[in-house]
Amino acid sequence: MAYSEKVIDHYRNPRNVGSLPKDDPNVGTGLVGAPECGDVMKLQVRVNPVTRVIEEAKFKTFGCGSAIASSSLATEWVKGKTVEEALQIKNTEIVRELNLPPVKIHCSVLAEDAIKAAIGDWKRKSGLAEAAPASAPAVAPAQE
Amino acid sequence: MKETQTLTASDLRCWSCGAAAGRAHFCPCCGKIQPLPPDTDYFAFFDLPRRLGLDERALEASYHELSWRLHPDRFAQASEAERRLSLDRSAQLNDAFRTLRDPVRRVEYLLWLAGRRREGEARQQAPPELLEEVFALNETLEELRQARHAGGEAAAEASLRRQLEAEQQKLETLLAAVDAELAEAAAAWDRALDSGAAAEPLLDRLNEILNRRSYLRNLVENIRQEMAAD
Repeated sequence: MAYSEKVIDHYRNPRNVGSLPKDDPNVGTGLVGAPECGDVMKLQVRVNPVTRVIEEAKFKTFGCGSAIASSSLATEWVKGKTVEEALQIKNTEIVRELNLPPVKIHCSVLAEDAIKAAIGDWKRKSGLAEAAPASAPAVAPAQE
Repeated sequence: MKETQTLTASDLRCWSCGAAAGRAHFCPCCGKIQPLPPDTDYFAFFDLPRRLGLDERALEASYHELSWRLHPDRFAQASEAERRLSLDRSAQLNDAFRTLRDPVRRVEYLLWLAGRRREGEARQQAPPELLEEVFALNETLEELRQARHAGGEAAAEASLRRQLEAEQQKLETLLAAVDAELAEAAAAWDRALDSGAAAEPLLDRLNEILNRRSYLRNLVENIRQEMAAD
């Protein structure tokens, strides 16, 4: 399968690879996987507790080029956003940006799930999990 | 299974003599090869119920018989349309056989028919209890790759290898357990089907088991390749 140029770019020069200290109270960690292909994706965010802005994001993904590109793009997009804004990122936007073919849509779904999981983890750590029913539409149906 | 089937087997008539042909490969009346009804799934192709336990030898026997009867060579003198039907049915025969003869692919196919495993429709969930382990394992694999790349440090490499071997054994054990679980759930599905009990929850269970299985399989395969790399 031919990868789009953007996928290849993110694959060759992945942005924000690495990890953040898991035990840091301001760091949220999302670990998700796709059983179809065995991909695993870890995405971490460091949130400013006052402004709720994501100041740093790191990822590490074991998987195909599209999974790596999707998570690399996801870290780029969440940086500088508030957690609420970051939760609005939809997998379909990733699909569009990276030109993912239908068989690779699940990679973008994984990236969206990873963002939500990381922020969810941060909220839990900060004791915000229950206090935030605003995240009701958090799991949007992934359809394209 | 949302769309109501409009085709029933009794509606299907032979294109040549008009007799009721059902889903038969050949018209029971005039013997002409029949077109493949569009909603014929692999089970229906072999005239089998959607059971997960099946007699694999009987399946193979019908496969051999049908591949001979449907073979395009036998239609060399027939009309263009019949030659096409023979090609269609032969292609379907091969796909159906390859899918149904393998117990795992059979489950996958059943779930696909039930709408559980279609890309973009039903989302597959990875087993969360395995994720940490999978991630750690992938990191060890990567370390091994890097150690090998850098050369030297034979001791470090050997220790990584030992670690992976232990991990591999653990995974193989897990995989065997998952296979047993799958076989058990498949048997439960058949029992529910036979007794007319609600089998829907079993589909979810089969799907979940299959997910865990493919995860483990990928891991075992990755380790195996990595160990064989030099």
